[in-house]
Amino acid sequence: MIQVERLTKQYGSVRAIDKISFGVGQGEIVGLLGPNGAGKTTTMRILTTYLSATSGRAVLAGHDALDEPLAVRRKVGYLPENVPLYQEMRVKEYLRFRAKLKDVPRSRRRLAVSEVVSRCRLTDVEDRILGHLSRGFRQRVGLAEAMVHDPDILILDEPSSGLDPIQIREVRGLIEELGEKHTILLSTHIMSEVEAVCGRVIIIAGGRIAIDEKIEKLRLDKAILVEARGPAEPIRNVLLGIDGVNRVTITSQETGISGFELGTQGGRDVREAVCQKLTANGWTLRSLELKRSSLEERFVEAVTGDGADPSKVKAT
Amino acid sequence: MRHVPTLLARELGAFFLGPMAYIVLMAFQVIALLNFWELVDALSQPQREFSSIRDPMTTYVSSSPLFWFSILVAVPLLTMRLIAEERRTGTIETLLTLPVSEAEIVLSKWLAGVLMYLALLVPFALYLPFLYFQAKYYFDLGPLLSLGIGLSTMGMMFVAIGLLFSALTRNQIVAAVWTFVVLFLMVVLTLLLYFYGARQQAGWAEAIRFLAVYVQVRAFGQGQLDPRTIALHLSVCVFALYVTVKILETGRRR
Repeated sequence: MIQVERLTKQYGSVRAIDKISFGVGQGEIVGLLGPNGAGKTTTMRILTTYLSATSGRAVLAGHDALDEPLAVRRKVGYLPENVPLYQEMRVKEYLRFRAKLKDVPRSRRRLAVSEVVSRCRLTDVEDRILGHLSRGFRQRVGLAEAMVHDPDILILDEPSSGLDPIQIREVRGLIEELGEKHTILLSTHIMSEVEAVCGRVIIIAGGRIAIDEKIEKLRLDKAILVEARGPAEPIRNVLLGIDGVNRVTITSQETGISGFELGTQGGRDVREAVCQKLTANGWTLRSLELKRSSLEERFVEAVTGDGADPSKVKAT
Repeated sequence: MRHVPTLLARELGAFFLGPMAYIVLMAFQVIALLNFWELVDALSQPQREFSSIRDPMTTYVSSSPLFWFSILVAVPLLTMRLIAEERRTGTIETLLTLPVSEAEIVLSKWLAGVLMYLALLVPFALYLPFLYFQAKYYFDLGPLLSLGIGLSTMGMMFVAIGLLFSALTRNQIVAAVWTFVVLFLMVVLTLLLYFYGARQQAGWAEAIRFLAVYVQVRAFGQGQLDPRTIALHLSVCVFALYVTVKILETGRRR
Protein backbone atom coordinates (compact mmCIF):
# COMPACT_ATOMS: atom_id res chain seq x y z
CA MET A 1 0.00 0.00 0.00
CA ILE A 2 2.81 2.39 0.85
CA GLN A 3 6.10 2.27 -1.01
CA VAL A 4 8.83 4.69 -0.05
CA GLU A 5 12.08 4.81 -1.95
CA ARG A 6 15.15 6.79 -0.99
CA LEU A 7 13.07 9.63 0.37
CA THR A 8 15.08 12.71 1.34
CA LYS A 9 13.92 16.01 2.75
CA GLN A 10 16.22 18.93 3.12
CA TYR A 11 15.29 22.07 5.08
CA GLY A 12 17.97 24.52 4.06
CA SER A 13 21.17 22.89 5.19
CA VAL A 14 19.44 20.51 7.60
CA ARG A 15 18.62 17.08 6.30
CA ALA A 16 15.48 16.00 8.12
CA ILE A 17 15.28 12.58 6.53
CA ASP A 18 18.00 10.94 4.53
CA LYS A 19 17.27 8.37 1.80
CA ILE A 20 14.80 6.31 3.76
CA SER A 21 13.10 3.37 2.07
CA PHE A 22 10.40 1.13 3.42
CA GLY A 23 7.18 -0.51 2.41
CA VAL A 24 3.89 -1.13 4.16
CA GLY A 25 1.67 -3.94 2.96
CA GLN A 26 -2.10 -4.10 2.83
CA GLY A 27 -3.68 -4.43 6.28
CA GLU A 28 -0.47 -3.93 8.20
CA ILE A 29 -0.20 -1.74 11.29
CA VAL A 30 3.25 -0.24 11.30
CA GLY A 31 4.69 1.89 14.07
CA LEU A 32 7.10 4.65 13.18
CA LEU A 33 9.28 5.10 16.21
CA GLY A 34 11.94 7.62 16.96
CA PRO A 35 13.07 10.36 19.31
CA ASN A 36 11.77 13.88 18.82
CA GLY A 37 13.21 15.46 15.69
CA ALA A 38 14.08 12.13 14.11
CA GLY A 39 11.97 12.85 11.04
CA LYS A 40 8.74 11.01 11.85
CA THR A 41 6.46 13.97 11.22
CA THR A 42 8.38 15.02 8.13
CA THR A 43 8.00 11.52 6.68
CA MET A 44 4.28 11.53 7.39
CA ARG A 45 3.82 15.00 5.94
CA ILE A 46 5.48 13.87 2.74
CA LEU A 47 3.28 10.79 2.56
CA THR A 48 0.17 12.90 3.03
CA THR A 49 1.40 15.33 0.31
CA TYR A 50 1.50 18.25 2.74
CA LEU A 51 5.21 18.57 1.99
CA SER A 52 7.09 17.46 -1.07
CA ALA A 53 10.29 15.49 -0.82
CA THR A 54 13.62 16.92 -1.94
CA SER A 55 14.33 13.63 -3.69
CA GLY A 56 13.06 10.08 -3.74
CA ARG A 57 9.60 8.67 -4.33
CA ALA A 58 6.57 7.86 -2.25
CA VAL A 59 3.78 5.80 -3.77
CA LEU A 60 0.55 5.33 -1.84
CA ALA A 61 -2.22 3.04 -3.04
CA GLY A 62 -0.67 3.14 -6.49
CA HIS A 63 -0.43 6.93 -6.77
CA ASP A 64 2.72 9.00 -6.61
CA ALA A 65 2.58 11.59 -3.82
CA LEU A 66 4.28 14.22 -5.95
CA ASP A 67 2.57 13.68 -9.30
CA GLU A 68 -0.98 12.91 -8.20
CA PRO A 69 -1.44 14.59 -4.84
CA LEU A 70 -5.24 14.73 -5.11
CA ALA A 71 -5.52 11.00 -5.85
CA VAL A 72 -3.29 10.22 -2.87
CA ARG A 73 -5.27 12.54 -0.58
CA ARG A 74 -8.45 10.72 -1.53
CA LYS A 75 -6.96 7.41 -0.39
CA VAL A 76 -5.34 8.63 2.81
CA GLY A 77 -6.82 9.63 6.15
CA TYR A 78 -4.46 11.82 8.14
CA LEU A 79 -4.38 12.74 11.80
CA PRO A 80 -1.80 15.50 12.20
CA GLU A 81 0.18 15.98 15.37
CA ASN A 82 -1.70 18.14 17.94
CA VAL A 83 -4.96 17.68 15.98
CA PRO A 84 -5.67 21.12 14.54
CA LEU A 85 -9.44 21.72 14.35
CA TYR A 86 -11.69 24.66 13.55
CA GLN A 87 -12.43 25.85 17.07
CA GLU A 88 -15.77 27.46 16.29
CA MET A 89 -17.47 24.46 14.69
CA ARG A 90 -19.52 21.75 16.36
CA VAL A 91 -18.39 18.12 16.29
CA LYS A 92 -21.01 16.76 13.93
CA GLU A 93 -21.01 19.88 11.80
CA TYR A 94 -17.24 19.60 11.42
CA LEU A 95 -17.38 15.92 10.46
CA ARG A 96 -20.12 16.61 7.93
CA PHE A 97 -18.10 19.49 6.50
CA ARG A 98 -15.01 17.32 6.15
CA ALA A 99 -16.99 14.43 4.67
CA LYS A 100 -18.34 16.78 2.03
CA LEU A 101 -14.84 18.01 1.17
CA LYS A 102 -13.60 14.43 1.02
CA ASP A 103 -16.20 13.60 -1.62
CA VAL A 104 -18.29 11.22 0.45
CA PRO A 105 -21.41 10.95 -1.72
CA ARG A 106 -24.48 12.77 -0.38
CA SER A 107 -26.44 9.54 0.03
CA ARG A 108 -23.81 8.01 2.31
CA ARG A 109 -22.67 11.14 4.11
CA ARG A 110 -25.12 11.05 7.00
CA LEU A 111 -24.46 7.36 7.56
CA ALA A 112 -20.69 7.76 7.33
CA VAL A 113 -20.69 10.58 9.87
CA SER A 114 -22.92 8.81 12.36
CA GLU A 115 -20.84 5.69 11.99
CA VAL A 116 -17.55 7.37 12.86
CA VAL A 117 -19.26 9.28 15.67
CA SER A 118 -20.39 6.07 17.31
CA ARG A 119 -17.14 4.29 16.53
CA CYS A 120 -15.03 6.96 18.18
CA ARG A 121 -17.55 7.24 21.04
CA LEU A 122 -18.39 10.85 20.31
CA THR A 123 -22.16 10.49 20.61
CA ASP A 124 -22.27 12.40 23.91
CA VAL A 125 -20.44 15.40 22.53
CA GLU A 126 -21.66 15.49 18.94
CA ASP A 127 -23.28 18.92 19.38
CA ARG A 128 -20.50 20.49 21.44
CA ILE A 129 -18.22 23.20 20.09
CA LEU A 130 -14.78 21.85 19.17
CA GLY A 131 -12.95 24.63 21.02
CA HIS A 132 -14.61 23.54 24.28
CA LEU A 133 -13.64 19.87 24.04
CA SER A 134 -11.00 18.24 26.18
CA ARG A 135 -7.80 16.90 24.71
CA GLY A 136 -9.06 13.32 24.59
CA PHE A 137 -12.20 14.20 22.73
CA ARG A 138 -10.32 16.42 20.29
CA GLN A 139 -8.05 13.49 19.54
CA ARG A 140 -11.04 11.28 18.89
CA VAL A 141 -12.64 13.91 16.66
CA GLY A 142 -9.37 13.95 14.73
CA LEU A 143 -9.48 10.18 14.38
CA ALA A 144 -13.12 10.25 13.31
CA GLU A 145 -12.28 12.92 10.76
CA ALA A 146 -9.36 10.89 9.39
CA MET A 147 -11.54 7.85 8.71
CA VAL A 148 -14.81 9.49 7.68
CA HIS A 149 -14.23 8.83 3.98
CA ASP A 150 -13.18 5.23 4.68
CA PRO A 151 -9.65 5.59 3.30
CA ASP A 152 -7.43 2.65 2.43
CA ILE A 153 -4.55 4.11 4.38
CA LEU A 154 -4.56 5.85 7.75
CA ILE A 155 -1.57 7.95 8.75
CA LEU A 156 -1.67 8.90 12.41
CA ASP A 157 0.92 11.24 13.90
CA GLU A 158 1.19 10.55 17.63
CA PRO A 159 -2.42 9.49 18.07
CA SER A 160 -2.08 9.07 21.83
CA SER A 161 0.05 12.03 22.84
CA GLY A 162 -1.42 14.08 25.64
CA LEU A 163 -4.03 11.51 26.60
CA ASP A 164 -4.56 9.95 30.00
CA PRO A 165 -4.01 6.18 30.42
CA ILE A 166 -7.68 5.30 29.98
CA GLN A 167 -7.97 7.38 26.85
CA ILE A 168 -4.76 5.87 25.55
CA ARG A 169 -6.25 2.43 26.02
CA GLU A 170 -9.41 3.48 24.19
CA VAL A 171 -7.53 5.00 21.28
CA ARG A 172 -5.34 1.92 21.12
CA GLY A 173 -8.39 -0.32 20.98
CA LEU A 174 -9.80 1.81 18.23
CA ILE A 175 -6.61 1.57 16.21
CA GLU A 176 -6.52 -2.21 16.59
CA GLU A 177 -10.12 -2.34 15.42
CA LEU A 178 -9.31 -0.13 12.43
CA GLY A 179 -6.32 -2.28 11.59
CA GLU A 180 -8.63 -5.04 10.52
CA LYS A 181 -9.80 -3.04 7.52
CA HIS A 182 -7.19 -0.36 6.93
CA THR A 183 -3.47 -0.07 6.44
CA ILE A 184 -2.15 2.03 9.28
CA LEU A 185 1.10 3.91 9.73
CA LEU A 186 1.35 5.53 13.14
CA SER A 187 4.11 7.43 14.83
CA THR A 188 4.81 7.50 18.53
CA HIS A 189 7.58 7.52 21.04
CA ILE A 190 5.72 5.29 23.45
CA MET A 191 7.18 1.79 23.34
CA SER A 192 4.33 -0.08 24.92
CA GLU A 193 1.95 1.35 22.36
CA VAL A 194 4.00 -0.05 19.51
CA GLU A 195 4.20 -3.42 21.23
CA ALA A 196 0.47 -3.42 21.89
CA VAL A 197 -0.90 -2.52 18.48
CA CYS A 198 1.73 -2.70 15.77
CA GLY A 199 2.69 -5.73 13.74
CA ARG A 200 5.90 -4.13 12.62
CA VAL A 201 8.11 -1.34 13.82
CA ILE A 202 10.33 1.06 11.94
CA ILE A 203 12.75 2.99 14.09
CA ILE A 204 14.05 6.24 12.65
CA ALA A 205 17.02 7.95 14.19
CA GLY A 206 18.78 10.98 12.82
CA GLY A 207 16.77 10.86 9.61
CA ARG A 208 17.70 7.26 8.78
CA ILE A 209 15.99 3.95 9.33
CA ALA A 210 17.77 2.12 12.11
CA ILE A 211 15.49 -0.88 12.50
CA ASP A 212 12.68 -2.23 10.35
CA GLU A 213 11.45 -5.49 11.79
CA LYS A 214 8.42 -7.48 12.85
CA ILE A 215 7.47 -7.10 16.48
CA GLU A 216 7.61 -10.84 17.18
CA LYS A 217 11.15 -10.97 15.95
CA LEU A 218 12.19 -8.11 18.19
CA ARG A 219 10.51 -9.81 21.11
CA LEU A 220 12.38 -13.08 20.68
CA ASP A 221 15.38 -12.38 22.81
CA LYS A 222 13.48 -11.84 26.02
CA ALA A 223 14.96 -12.35 29.44
CA ILE A 224 13.63 -13.78 32.69
CA LEU A 225 14.20 -11.98 35.95
CA VAL A 226 14.46 -14.07 39.09
CA GLU A 227 14.73 -12.97 42.69
CA ALA A 228 15.16 -15.55 45.44
CA ARG A 229 16.21 -15.82 49.09
CA GLY A 230 19.45 -17.75 49.28
CA PRO A 231 23.17 -17.68 48.38
CA ALA A 232 23.90 -16.28 44.94
CA GLU A 233 26.49 -18.69 43.53
CA PRO A 234 24.73 -22.03 44.31
CA ILE A 235 21.44 -20.71 42.94
CA ARG A 236 23.21 -19.60 39.79
CA ASN A 237 24.63 -23.07 39.27
CA VAL A 238 21.21 -24.65 39.70
CA LEU A 239 19.63 -22.21 37.29
CA LEU A 240 22.30 -22.95 34.69
CA GLY A 241 21.33 -26.58 34.94
CA ILE A 242 17.81 -25.92 33.71
CA ASP A 243 17.19 -27.12 30.17
CA GLY A 244 17.21 -24.21 27.69
CA VAL A 245 19.01 -21.69 29.88
CA ASN A 246 22.23 -20.53 28.30
CA ARG A 247 23.15 -17.47 30.35
CA VAL A 248 22.67 -16.42 33.95
CA THR A 249 23.95 -13.15 35.34
CA ILE A 250 23.75 -12.06 38.92
CA THR A 251 22.12 -8.65 39.01
CA SER A 252 21.93 -8.02 42.74
CA GLN A 253 23.17 -9.54 45.95
CA GLU A 254 22.09 -8.24 49.34
CA THR A 255 21.43 -9.73 52.79
CA GLY A 256 20.42 -13.16 51.68
CA ILE A 257 18.45 -12.10 48.64
CA SER A 258 19.89 -12.54 45.16
CA GLY A 259 18.68 -11.35 41.77
CA PHE A 260 19.40 -13.03 38.43
CA GLU A 261 18.80 -12.42 34.78
CA LEU A 262 18.35 -15.49 32.60
CA GLY A 263 18.91 -15.70 28.91
CA THR A 264 17.21 -18.60 27.16
CA GLN A 265 17.67 -20.31 23.84
CA GLY A 266 15.23 -18.94 21.23
CA GLY A 267 13.38 -17.05 23.91
CA ARG A 268 11.96 -20.14 25.59
CA ASP A 269 9.80 -19.50 28.60
CA VAL A 270 11.34 -21.53 31.46
CA ARG A 271 9.58 -19.84 34.37
CA GLU A 272 7.86 -22.97 35.60
CA ALA A 273 11.07 -24.96 35.62
CA VAL A 274 12.82 -22.18 37.53
CA CYS A 275 10.09 -22.16 40.15
CA GLN A 276 10.23 -25.95 40.60
CA LYS A 277 14.01 -26.07 40.83
CA LEU A 278 14.23 -23.31 43.42
CA THR A 279 11.53 -24.70 45.71
CA ALA A 280 13.02 -28.19 45.39
CA ASN A 281 16.28 -26.77 46.76
CA GLY A 282 14.54 -24.96 49.59
CA TRP A 283 15.13 -21.39 48.35
CA THR A 284 12.14 -19.09 48.56
CA LEU A 285 11.15 -17.49 45.29
CA ARG A 286 10.49 -13.79 45.74
CA SER A 287 9.74 -12.74 42.17
CA LEU A 288 9.75 -14.20 38.71
CA GLU A 289 9.03 -12.15 35.63
CA LEU A 290 9.36 -12.18 31.92
CA LYS A 291 11.19 -9.09 30.78
CA ARG A 292 9.77 -7.56 27.64
CA SER A 293 11.76 -4.37 27.41
CA SER A 294 13.83 -5.66 24.57
CA LEU A 295 12.17 -3.26 22.13
CA GLU A 296 13.14 -0.40 24.37
CA GLU A 297 16.71 -1.63 24.53
CA ARG A 298 16.82 -2.01 20.80
CA PHE A 299 15.41 1.48 20.45
CA VAL A 300 18.03 3.03 22.69
CA GLU A 301 20.70 1.01 20.94
CA ALA A 302 19.51 2.24 17.57
CA VAL A 303 19.16 5.85 18.62
CA THR A 304 22.33 6.31 20.63
CA GLY A 305 24.43 3.84 18.73
CA ASP A 306 25.16 1.70 21.78
CA GLY A 307 23.38 -0.21 24.50
CA ALA A 308 23.03 2.73 26.84
CA ASP A 309 20.87 2.90 29.92
CA PRO A 310 17.33 2.21 28.79
CA SER A 311 15.87 4.12 31.73
CA LYS A 312 16.80 7.36 30.00
CA VAL A 313 14.14 6.77 27.38
CA LYS A 314 10.59 7.65 28.11
CA ALA A 315 8.47 4.56 28.42
CA THR A 316 4.95 4.13 29.67
CA MET B 1 -14.57 23.58 -8.26
CA ARG B 2 -17.42 21.62 -6.64
CA HIS B 3 -15.93 22.13 -3.18
CA VAL B 4 -16.16 25.90 -3.37
CA PRO B 5 -19.70 26.24 -1.89
CA THR B 6 -18.76 24.03 1.08
CA LEU B 7 -15.55 25.92 1.77
CA LEU B 8 -17.28 29.26 1.24
CA ALA B 9 -20.02 28.40 3.74
CA ARG B 10 -17.45 27.54 6.38
CA GLU B 11 -15.49 30.77 5.74
CA LEU B 12 -18.62 32.90 6.10
CA GLY B 13 -19.56 30.91 9.18
CA ALA B 14 -16.18 31.65 10.70
CA PHE B 15 -16.62 35.37 9.95
CA PHE B 16 -19.97 35.58 11.67
CA LEU B 17 -19.08 33.31 14.59
CA GLY B 18 -16.28 35.67 15.54
CA PRO B 19 -16.74 39.24 16.71
CA MET B 20 -14.86 40.86 13.83
CA ALA B 21 -17.69 40.84 11.30
CA TYR B 22 -20.11 42.53 13.68
CA ILE B 23 -17.62 45.15 14.83
CA VAL B 24 -16.75 46.14 11.28
CA LEU B 25 -20.38 46.12 10.14
CA MET B 26 -21.38 48.26 13.09
CA ALA B 27 -18.64 50.75 12.36
CA PHE B 28 -19.77 50.99 8.76
CA GLN B 29 -23.33 51.52 9.83
CA VAL B 30 -22.26 54.50 11.93
CA ILE B 31 -20.16 55.90 9.11
CA ALA B 32 -23.02 55.51 6.67
CA LEU B 33 -25.28 57.36 9.09
CA LEU B 34 -22.82 60.25 9.44
CA ASN B 35 -22.32 60.49 5.70
CA PHE B 36 -26.02 60.37 5.05
CA TRP B 37 -26.52 63.13 7.58
CA GLU B 38 -24.00 65.23 5.77
CA LEU B 39 -25.62 64.50 2.42
CA VAL B 40 -29.10 65.51 3.62
CA ASP B 41 -27.61 68.58 5.21
CA ALA B 42 -25.92 69.55 1.96
CA LEU B 43 -29.04 68.95 -0.06
CA SER B 44 -31.14 71.09 2.25
CA GLN B 45 -28.91 74.15 1.76
CA PRO B 46 -30.06 75.80 -1.44
CA GLN B 47 -26.75 77.47 -2.22
CA ARG B 48 -24.88 74.14 -2.21
CA GLU B 49 -27.67 72.22 -3.82
CA PHE B 50 -26.52 72.78 -7.33
CA SER B 51 -23.28 70.80 -7.06
CA SER B 52 -24.82 68.05 -4.96
CA ILE B 53 -27.76 67.52 -7.25
CA ARG B 54 -25.42 66.60 -10.05
CA ASP B 55 -23.80 63.74 -8.22
CA PRO B 56 -25.07 63.13 -4.72
CA MET B 57 -23.15 59.84 -4.62
CA THR B 58 -19.86 61.73 -4.64
CA THR B 59 -20.69 63.54 -1.43
CA TYR B 60 -22.21 60.49 0.10
CA VAL B 61 -19.59 57.87 -0.71
CA SER B 62 -16.81 58.29 -3.19
CA SER B 63 -15.29 61.56 -2.01
CA SER B 64 -15.97 61.12 1.65
CA PRO B 65 -12.68 60.86 3.60
CA LEU B 66 -14.47 58.93 6.31
CA PHE B 67 -15.58 56.29 3.81
CA TRP B 68 -12.09 55.85 2.42
CA PHE B 69 -10.50 55.71 5.80
CA SER B 70 -12.87 53.02 6.95
CA ILE B 71 -12.45 50.97 3.76
CA LEU B 72 -8.67 51.12 4.21
CA VAL B 73 -9.03 49.82 7.74
CA ALA B 74 -11.86 47.35 7.21
CA VAL B 75 -10.47 45.40 4.24
CA PRO B 76 -7.25 44.38 6.05
CA LEU B 77 -9.31 43.43 9.11
CA LEU B 78 -11.51 41.17 7.01
CA THR B 79 -8.78 39.54 4.97
CA MET B 80 -6.02 39.16 7.55
CA ARG B 81 -7.34 35.97 9.10
CA LEU B 82 -8.27 34.16 5.90
CA ILE B 83 -5.08 32.12 5.53
CA ALA B 84 -2.81 33.40 8.31
CA GLU B 85 -5.21 32.05 10.94
CA GLU B 86 -5.08 28.59 9.36
CA ARG B 87 -1.32 28.71 9.39
CA ARG B 88 -1.22 29.78 13.04
CA THR B 89 -3.58 27.10 14.32
CA GLY B 90 -2.19 24.43 12.01
CA THR B 91 -5.52 23.73 10.35
CA ILE B 92 -3.80 24.52 7.06
CA GLU B 93 -2.31 21.03 7.35
CA THR B 94 -5.75 19.43 7.43
CA LEU B 95 -6.91 21.73 4.64
CA LEU B 96 -4.02 20.99 2.27
CA THR B 97 -4.24 17.24 2.77
CA LEU B 98 -7.84 17.15 1.56
CA PRO B 99 -8.66 16.08 -1.98
CA VAL B 100 -9.25 19.76 -2.74
CA SER B 101 -7.05 21.82 -5.03
CA GLU B 102 -5.25 24.94 -3.86
CA ALA B 103 -7.16 26.97 -6.43
CA GLU B 104 -10.47 25.94 -4.90
CA ILE B 105 -9.27 26.93 -1.44
CA VAL B 106 -8.01 30.32 -2.58
CA LEU B 107 -11.12 31.00 -4.64
CA SER B 108 -13.50 30.23 -1.80
CA LYS B 109 -11.56 32.31 0.68
CA TRP B 110 -11.48 35.20 -1.76
CA LEU B 111 -15.22 34.89 -2.42
CA ALA B 112 -15.89 34.93 1.30
CA GLY B 113 -13.83 38.11 1.61
CA VAL B 114 -15.63 39.74 -1.32
CA LEU B 115 -19.05 38.87 0.08
CA MET B 116 -18.10 40.35 3.44
CA TYR B 117 -16.81 43.46 1.70
CA LEU B 118 -20.07 43.83 -0.21
CA ALA B 119 -21.95 43.40 3.06
CA LEU B 120 -20.07 46.45 4.33
CA LEU B 121 -21.60 48.54 1.55
CA VAL B 122 -25.14 47.49 2.42
CA PRO B 123 -25.46 50.07 5.25
CA PHE B 124 -24.80 52.80 2.69
CA ALA B 125 -27.42 51.45 0.32
CA LEU B 126 -29.88 51.14 3.18
CA TYR B 127 -30.44 54.92 3.46
CA LEU B 128 -30.89 55.64 -0.22
CA PRO B 129 -34.53 54.45 -0.55
CA PHE B 130 -35.45 56.92 2.20
CA LEU B 131 -33.93 59.73 0.22
CA TYR B 132 -35.64 58.58 -2.95
CA PHE B 133 -39.14 57.66 -1.75
CA GLN B 134 -39.63 59.56 1.47
CA ALA B 135 -37.76 62.75 0.78
CA LYS B 136 -38.87 62.55 -2.84
CA TYR B 137 -35.39 63.43 -3.94
CA TYR B 138 -35.24 61.72 -7.31
CA PHE B 139 -31.53 61.32 -7.88
CA ASP B 140 -30.12 59.72 -10.99
CA LEU B 141 -29.90 55.94 -10.77
CA GLY B 142 -27.22 55.56 -13.48
CA PRO B 143 -24.30 56.91 -11.43
CA LEU B 144 -25.48 54.83 -8.50
CA LEU B 145 -25.25 51.69 -10.60
CA SER B 146 -21.88 52.64 -12.03
CA LEU B 147 -20.57 53.40 -8.53
CA GLY B 148 -21.82 50.01 -7.38
CA ILE B 149 -19.94 48.25 -10.17
CA GLY B 150 -16.81 50.30 -9.55
CA LEU B 151 -16.81 49.68 -5.82
CA SER B 152 -17.35 45.96 -6.40
CA THR B 153 -14.41 45.54 -8.76
CA MET B 154 -12.28 47.68 -6.47
CA GLY B 155 -13.28 45.47 -3.54
CA MET B 156 -12.43 42.32 -5.49
CA MET B 157 -8.97 43.74 -6.11
CA PHE B 158 -8.49 44.88 -2.49
CA VAL B 159 -9.61 41.55 -1.04
CA ALA B 160 -7.32 39.63 -3.42
CA ILE B 161 -4.40 41.76 -2.25
CA GLY B 162 -5.35 41.18 1.37
CA LEU B 163 -5.59 37.45 0.75
CA LEU B 164 -2.14 37.44 -0.83
CA PHE B 165 -0.59 39.01 2.27
CA SER B 166 -2.55 36.67 4.50
CA ALA B 167 -0.99 33.72 2.67
CA LEU B 168 2.50 35.08 3.21
CA THR B 169 2.53 35.01 7.00
CA ARG B 170 1.18 33.18 10.01
CA ASN B 171 0.79 36.44 11.90
CA GLN B 172 -2.54 38.16 11.26
CA ILE B 173 -1.28 41.55 12.40
CA VAL B 174 1.59 41.42 9.94
CA ALA B 175 -0.85 40.51 7.17
CA ALA B 176 -3.17 43.36 8.12
CA VAL B 177 -0.38 45.94 8.27
CA TRP B 178 1.03 44.95 4.89
CA THR B 179 -2.41 45.03 3.31
CA PHE B 180 -3.13 48.41 4.85
CA VAL B 181 0.17 49.84 3.61
CA VAL B 182 -0.38 48.64 0.06
CA LEU B 183 -4.00 49.80 -0.10
CA PHE B 184 -2.97 53.11 1.42
CA LEU B 185 -0.35 53.57 -1.29
CA MET B 186 -2.90 52.70 -3.97
CA VAL B 187 -5.48 55.17 -2.70
CA VAL B 188 -3.65 58.06 -1.07
CA LEU B 189 -0.13 58.09 -2.44
CA THR B 190 -1.26 57.88 -6.05
CA LEU B 191 -3.57 60.81 -5.41
CA LEU B 192 -0.83 62.93 -3.85
CA LEU B 193 1.55 62.01 -6.66
CA TYR B 194 -1.07 63.00 -9.19
CA PHE B 195 -1.55 66.41 -7.56
CA TYR B 196 2.18 66.90 -7.42
CA GLY B 197 2.68 65.82 -11.04
CA ALA B 198 -0.20 67.95 -12.25
CA ARG B 199 1.26 71.01 -10.59
CA GLN B 200 4.59 70.33 -12.32
CA GLN B 201 2.64 69.62 -15.50
CA ALA B 202 4.63 66.42 -15.81
CA GLY B 203 3.76 63.85 -18.45
CA TRP B 204 3.45 61.02 -15.95
CA ALA B 205 0.70 62.79 -14.05
CA GLU B 206 -1.85 61.42 -16.47
CA ALA B 207 -0.58 57.86 -15.98
CA ILE B 208 -0.75 58.21 -12.21
CA ARG B 209 -4.22 59.64 -12.54
CA PHE B 210 -5.29 56.49 -14.31
CA LEU B 211 -3.89 54.36 -11.49
CA ALA B 212 -5.23 56.45 -8.60
CA VAL B 213 -8.03 54.40 -7.06
CA TYR B 214 -9.64 57.46 -5.53
CA VAL B 215 -9.90 59.19 -8.90
CA GLN B 216 -11.25 55.99 -10.47
CA VAL B 217 -14.01 55.56 -7.93
CA ARG B 218 -14.93 59.25 -8.06
CA ALA B 219 -15.34 58.87 -11.78
CA PHE B 220 -17.58 55.86 -11.25
CA GLY B 221 -19.62 57.91 -8.79
CA GLN B 222 -20.09 60.55 -11.45
CA GLY B 223 -21.46 57.96 -13.80
CA GLN B 224 -18.38 57.35 -15.94
CA LEU B 225 -18.28 53.59 -16.27
CA ASP B 226 -14.79 53.14 -17.66
CA PRO B 227 -14.12 49.57 -18.85
CA ARG B 228 -10.37 50.22 -18.71
CA THR B 229 -10.56 50.75 -14.97
CA ILE B 230 -12.66 47.63 -14.53
CA ALA B 231 -10.14 45.67 -16.58
CA LEU B 232 -7.34 47.05 -14.42
CA HIS B 233 -9.08 46.06 -11.19
CA LEU B 234 -9.86 42.57 -12.41
CA SER B 235 -6.35 41.98 -13.78
CA VAL B 236 -4.74 42.96 -10.49
CA CYS B 237 -7.26 40.74 -8.72
CA VAL B 238 -6.59 37.71 -10.91
CA PHE B 239 -2.85 38.22 -10.62
CA ALA B 240 -2.96 38.41 -6.81
CA LEU B 241 -5.13 35.27 -6.64
CA TYR B 242 -2.75 33.44 -8.97
CA VAL B 243 0.23 34.34 -6.82
CA THR B 244 -1.67 33.22 -3.71
CA VAL B 245 -2.37 29.81 -5.26
CA LYS B 246 1.31 29.51 -6.17
CA ILE B 247 2.34 30.42 -2.61
CA LEU B 248 0.16 27.63 -1.23
CA GLU B 249 1.46 25.17 -3.81
CA THR B 250 5.12 25.96 -3.26
CA GLY B 251 4.54 25.84 0.50
CA ARG B 252 4.94 22.10 0.04
CA ARG B 253 8.51 22.64 -1.06
CA ARG B 254 9.67 24.42 2.09
